[in-house]
Amino acid sequence: MLKKKICMVGQFGVGKTSLVRRFVDSIFDERYLSTIGVKIDRKDVCAGGTDLTLMLWDLAGEDDLAPLNMSHLRGASGYILVADGCRAATLSKARELQQRITKMLGPLPFVLVINKTDLRDHWEVQSADIQQYGWLTFETSAKEGTGVEEMFLALAARLTGDRAAIGKSAES
Amino acid sequence: MSPSAQFELLAALGYAVLERTGPGSFRALGSAPRWLPKGPVTDAFPFLELFLLDAEEYWAYPGGRPRLSSDLWTQAADFGREMHFRAVAVAADRQLLLIERVDSRFDQAQAFVQYAHEAKLAEEKISKLSHELARATEAKSEFLARMSHEIRTPLNSLLGMAELLSETELNDEQREYVRIFRRAGDTLLNIINDILDFSKVEAGQIQMECIGFDVAQVVREAIDIIDVRARAKGLAVSFSIQPELPARWMGDPGRLRQILLNLLGNAVKFTEQGAIRVSVEKLHDELHFAVSDTGAGIAADRISTIFDSFTQADVSTTRKYGGTGLGLAISKRFVELMGGRIWAESAPGSGSTIHFTARLEADEGNAPEAAEDAPRPALDNLSLRILLADDSADNRFLIRGYLRGTACLIDEVENGAAAVERFQSGEYGLILMDAEMPVMDGYSAVRAIRACEIERGLPPTPVLALTAHAFQEARDRSLAAGCTDHLVKPIAKTALLEAIARHAGKPHAEAPIHVEVENWLKPVVPGYLEKRRGDVAALESALERRDFATIHTLGHQMAGSGAGYGFAGITAIGAALEESALASDPARIRRAISDLDRFLRNVVTG
Repeated sequence: MLKKKICMVGQFGVGKTSLVRRFVDSIFDERYLSTIGVKIDRKDVCAGGTDLTLMLWDLAGEDDLAPLNMSHLRGASGYILVADGCRAATLSKARELQQRITKMLGPLPFVLVINKTDLRDHWEVQSADIQQYGWLTFETSAKEGTGVEEMFLALAARLTGDRAAIGKSAES
Repeated sequence: MSPSAQFELLAALGYAVLERTGPGSFRALGSAPRWLPKGPVTDAFPFLELFLLDAEEYWAYPGGRPRLSSDLWTQAADFGREMHFRAVAVAADRQLLLIERVDSRFDQAQAFVQYAHEAKLAEEKISKLSHELARATEAKSEFLARMSHEIRTPLNSLLGMAELLSETELNDEQREYVRIFRRAGDTLLNIINDILDFSKVEAGQIQMECIGFDVAQVVREAIDIIDVRARAKGLAVSFSIQPELPARWMGDPGRLRQILLNLLGNAVKFTEQGAIRVSVEKLHDELHFAVSDTGAGIAADRISTIFDSFTQADVSTTRKYGGTGLGLAISKRFVELMGGRIWAESAPGSGSTIHFTARLEADEGNAPEAAEDAPRPALDNLSLRILLADDSADNRFLIRGYLRGTACLIDEVENGAAAVERFQSGEYGLILMDAEMPVMDGYSAVRAIRACEIERGLPPTPVLALTAHAFQEARDRSLAAGCTDHLVKPIAKTALLEAIARHAGKPHAEAPIHVEVENWLKPVVPGYLEKRRGDVAALESALERRDFATIHTLGHQMAGSGAGYGFAGITAIGAALEESALASDPARIRRAISDLDRFLRNVVTG
């Protein structure tokens, strides 16, 4: 079966690991556990009529102590930029990472995810902030499961070149 | 140890030892650990796909490096568990790939990173909360200012009309009704003021003044105000002051009077018979005030809470005596701002004494006796044309009522633009200006009037802002716009008439300030004063540029030199300039400049 490597990138604490956990195991854990190095999961999906295995590389969130290890992105077919709606700075971080990745690997398919819609009352990120980049964007809640599958499938569809599936996922 | 024994040992330590047999091809040496699945390693460990790219390069060109280590990686294991690994490529006689279980090392690394992340997240949360709190406090202040304005505006009409009504011919029954009406209005105003004061204290917006005042006079003024109520209950109020105590002190007489009024008000409220006594003495380096009564007293278990907000000694007290329960809480904060403390001594049935101290310094400067002894200008003799700008017909009616019987003529307009127009075509001795009006507000109107005066070379007309905004910022805003003074609605008739007389009759009201100068200084004094006159202009221009450093320097020079020439007034003004420049407080600086100007205009040396 076709295998595609997808990397999860973003500031620490935005919910990269929780998104994968929700997508792969349909589980959410309230405890925050920092990822060290890389966490690898796999999930078989069908996107736009194509069966494929997504190899999900969940990369340790960038912080002041350690920058993102860019070498882990080599061989990736696409990536998911994750920001936390409650922390505006994480969206700027996502923007910065996107620029660094594009500089190193060229224009790879990606989606932007603003996570934590369950805490929307505390959001600092406004829709105008998100729209300014013109990226394919999803608002998700790893806790409640909202938008998570659609987001992964939209990127998968992008990787298989299925435009209709991308549009459908983005609308939902 | 034989190589095979070494591989057995490594396997026992949790390593899988693989030998590279070709590109991407490996065989296990020794016994493979149970966690190492059969088949290609990259199938079991997708992470190695990436690492082996680097490892192949390393094996081809080790470049003297003994080994190449990978980052840590995590993979799901059975039963929701996770396994943590690290890979090491070694280039020796053989090309080896070691895969190591690093669960405990992973836990340590994670604990460290997690601690750093949680600390950072907590810091972000605190900073966010503190911003939200600041925004909420600002919104609360704004709401209070607005509410205060909205309540004061109709209250101004109510209290003013009641005052005018009481001056008309009334029978005894009607007089009693009006008296109750006025008392209720005054109480309501006091409650609003209490709530405003309290919220300002809470928001840290209260600044204590530091001016010279006569402590006995402040106490007597407070007693005078309370005396009517005390006498109505048959209570005598007495006052004693330590004889050798200096008369004049530096501090905030307004706030001191407020504390005393609060304590005296409570004493009268809670005492049915007997007497009230106020005493002032010096205790160590503090001024010690005590207000004693022979009233109901406070139970021991309540004494510690009476200074808390919204607390009275007994909830039934509120029903019986009324009040917001804020008076003592406000007094406590004021006392603390004066560097002192407040406490109570009492036993039920044997009266109470409330003590407080204030850390004040004696005022070494000259008392402004001459100015205070000058006869107050009476409005009766003042023939004055007044321009009144206020959009509320009720307020205009009230002011007209207040001024009836004086020799003043009033022209009324409904907005700032009309005021500016009228000002240009008429000659006015004084202007009363509301702040918020349609078309053009009072601030813009005053600015336009000041510009017009400068253009025509006219002396400034006294402009009294008359608004329902009670906060200090509103006062600062009025003065910054060019108003001469800021009066707060609701205003009593006497207060308005006094303010008009004070400002309109100013040139006559200013009495000479006599200062004795020692003989040997006489030749240099005129030069010194002339230089200070130059400072007035320099200060005004520095203030316009918001050049607080220059203001501070000039203030410092005056503070240092004034008393040496015999002008304690200049030293006091210099100190005020220094302080207000440090606080970057334009309103206080403006007041100090105007004090200096007045001092220099009126000083007479002998």
